[in-house]
Amino acid sequence: MLEPDRTFARRDTALFVLCVALSIGALFAPEPWQYVAASTARRTALAPLIALQRRAEASRTSRARFEALTAQRDSAAAAAQSLPVLLDENARLRALLGLAGRVSGRAVPAEVLHQALPTDARMLLLGSGRTAGILPFQPVVSPDGLIGLVRSAGATTALVMTWAHPDFRASAMTLDGSVTGLVGVTADASIREPMLELRGVPYRDSVAVGTPVITSGLGGVYPRGLSIGTVVGVARQSEGWERVYLVRPSAAPARAGHVLVLQQGAVPVGAASEDSIP
Amino acid sequence: MTAGRARRIRFALVMLLLVWLQFYVRPRLWSPRVAPDFLMLGLMLFAIRSRPGAAALAGFILGFASDALTPARFGAAMLANTLVGYGAAWGRAVFFADNLLVNAGFIAAGVWLRDVLVLIASGTGGKALLAQLFFWSPLLGLSTALAGVIVLAVFRDWLDIRLEE
Repeated sequence: MLEPDRTFARRDTALFVLCVALSIGALFAPEPWQYVAASTARRTALAPLIALQRRAEASRTSRARFEALTAQRDSAAAAAQSLPVLLDENARLRALLGLAGRVSGRAVPAEVLHQALPTDARMLLLGSGRTAGILPFQPVVSPDGLIGLVRSAGATTALVMTWAHPDFRASAMTLDGSVTGLVGVTADASIREPMLELRGVPYRDSVAVGTPVITSGLGGVYPRGLSIGTVVGVARQSEGWERVYLVRPSAAPARAGHVLVLQQGAVPVGAASEDSIP
Repeated sequence: MTAGRARRIRFALVMLLLVWLQFYVRPRLWSPRVAPDFLMLGLMLFAIRSRPGAAALAGFILGFASDALTPARFGAAMLANTLVGYGAAWGRAVFFADNLLVNAGFIAAGVWLRDVLVLIASGTGGKALLAQLFFWSPLLGLSTALAGVIVLAVFRDWLDIRLEE
């Protein structure tokens, strides 16, 4: 017969091995299973805690936050001053070129429920879901620029894959439309935030430091003209083939408090012009 | 009510308080990257007074909740918290954690180790990993340790953790 201490030690080891085995199983489980398990937990056991956090986010009204919101509103108001003239010019140019009017849509505001894990900035939890009109593959922006896209949406919560996620890709171009490429996250980071790479730029094309990079609209997920970031230098180059540029992102998912989920065809106020002609 | 049952109820109340702090108070604190991780603090306090098997199970459950809320790499937090919980329960026997500062260091180390494991399991590399491990994670560990010192000082009798006077 085993001594009690030894029995306990064996039980501890067995429990530990079981938990590790289940964790490793979860790590390598098919992605749909992972999403089902996560969304089931959010809908059931974690629902009261998410509701509590949503309430905390909604009632957070510190002075610093108020001042930041005031500054954002002032900037938006200043930018909107020239909007009627631009809209009028745009309508006349479209009429001259025989183009149809812009597709318009709406944007759904949502609170970001930040978590404590270091991978929080890769996948954000939003406090709104399908009941607010949020659906998978809708683009998500902050006042500063592109954050990512909705990966999955439940009734009251949604998950956003941000540009910091290794699987994130977006079709991009420089503001003047002369250079196009694909952006994705890079391991080359700054202390504050991860950085992006603009890949697939032909070797013959060069992009100056400080050039703004925006979404090109190719692929149909992101509308053209969302601000992605600014070129800060060449990350690497393949002789005679392509250059890869390092891009400092406009928006920081780790610091985003409120975001806008763009419905079909919507472009937020302050986004780079959709009508910049290459 | 027996003394053991009363102790368990008091401990459960402290754990509930930490859950409330995590979901209601933490979002109101400063940057979410450095605000104390009260759930991790709860796991460390639980591990300090529990058997390794129970601590591993608690870590697994906490990790599952974390992964459900941040499924950037589902399973990473489960694995990390299981290992940290199990290790912390064994570490207590080694370190004789009856000093407030030792407990604080123990909590900070647990948070940092959790971050290391989560990032490695998530495939993070390069400068992003270094920036996280040598800047953000130590800050998170320190803030969590500070919160741990306050909780330990206030609830030392309820938590049944022996501290040097």
